[in-house]
Amino acid sequence: MTIWWLYLILGLLAAVGIAFVWLIVRIGNAGAPKGRNVIDSFEEAADKDVEHIFNEDFREELRNRGRLHFEKIIGENAMFLQQDLRLTTSQLNEYMKTEIASKLKDEFAKYEESIMDAKQMAIESIQKTNAAIDEQRQLLGVQVQQEIVAEKKQMVIRFEQNMTDIINHYVLAAIGNQIDLNDQLEYILADLNTNKQAIIEDITNGA
Amino acid sequence: MAPSVAPVPMTLPLSVIGPVDLGRIIREVETIDNEQLQTAIRKEADAKIAKTSKLLDDLLQDNHLDLTNKDQRAQLKQFLKVVNDQAPTLHISFSADPSPLFLEKLITWLRTEIHPVVLLTVGLQPSIGAGCLVRTTNKYFDFTLRENFSKKGDILMAKLREVVTA
Repeated sequence: MTIWWLYLILGLLAAVGIAFVWLIVRIGNAGAPKGRNVIDSFEEAADKDVEHIFNEDFREELRNRGRLHFEKIIGENAMFLQQDLRLTTSQLNEYMKTEIASKLKDEFAKYEESIMDAKQMAIESIQKTNAAIDEQRQLLGVQVQQEIVAEKKQMVIRFEQNMTDIINHYVLAAIGNQIDLNDQLEYILADLNTNKQAIIEDITNGA
Repeated sequence: MAPSVAPVPMTLPLSVIGPVDLGRIIREVETIDNEQLQTAIRKEADAKIAKTSKLLDDLLQDNHLDLTNKDQRAQLKQFLKVVNDQAPTLHISFSADPSPLFLEKLITWLRTEIHPVVLLTVGLQPSIGAGCLVRTTNKYFDFTLRENFSKKGDILMAKLREVVTA
């Protein structure tokens, strides 16, 4: 607002000056027929009056007042500009905050969504892996169980097949030294008697 | 071809167990026979017979024979030849060397129940443990403890299963 006042004042001063000059010129033109000397005298008088009104002090005063007014207007504008800048900065900060917050919120939402997706995928992958491991474990358990049963069965069969030798070895190791042939005679004769007919047939008919 | 064992009028003493004893008697009888023949050729009046072994003594005693009698000697030789050629032989293996008394009882039973002049060869197999293995001309009889366990394995297995499942 102050700069406009300055312009208005300067404009008025310029208009007053122009009007004064125009008036002097009219006055000079009106008295021209009287002779060349009159005109010259008016011009000289106008110059003197102008020099007299707009002397150096007045001009200096106008300059000082204009400088001060200009400095005042500059200061006020600077203050307004500072306020505007602060306001704008504040608004800009708020805007930036809002925008950044919004962006960050969106980004975080996307990030969280992607994290959740990745988590879900990881969970699904882990679940699939666990299911596969469970299946393999069950399969392996069944196989191991079958192997154990087969091995156990094989061991039992081997034990049964070799049981005679095992027990015979055990009996001989335990009481082998105490078995006398004389004590066995009765059993040997009983066995011979049982197979007597076969022995006789082989003796009589054998080659 | 099946051996045809001729009827034997004489008997073998229980002290004669196997072919080794029989061969020993045969050689002794032949020696005596040769000596008697030489004595007859030299026409010596006093024909003495050298001391005979216990096996031959038992054989002569059991069959009431006199070696100075040529006919009886010939009869004995014939008998021994027939036994040597045709007597059945059993091979029995034990886990240890049997005692003479054991062999005497065994050969008594064999000659009573199987054949009057059966001969016996004894083998030794420590792995038998208890019982014996009998081998005739064509057959093989396992009377060992191991075989007995094998035959009665079902009983043992039943007992074991009974204990395990209890």
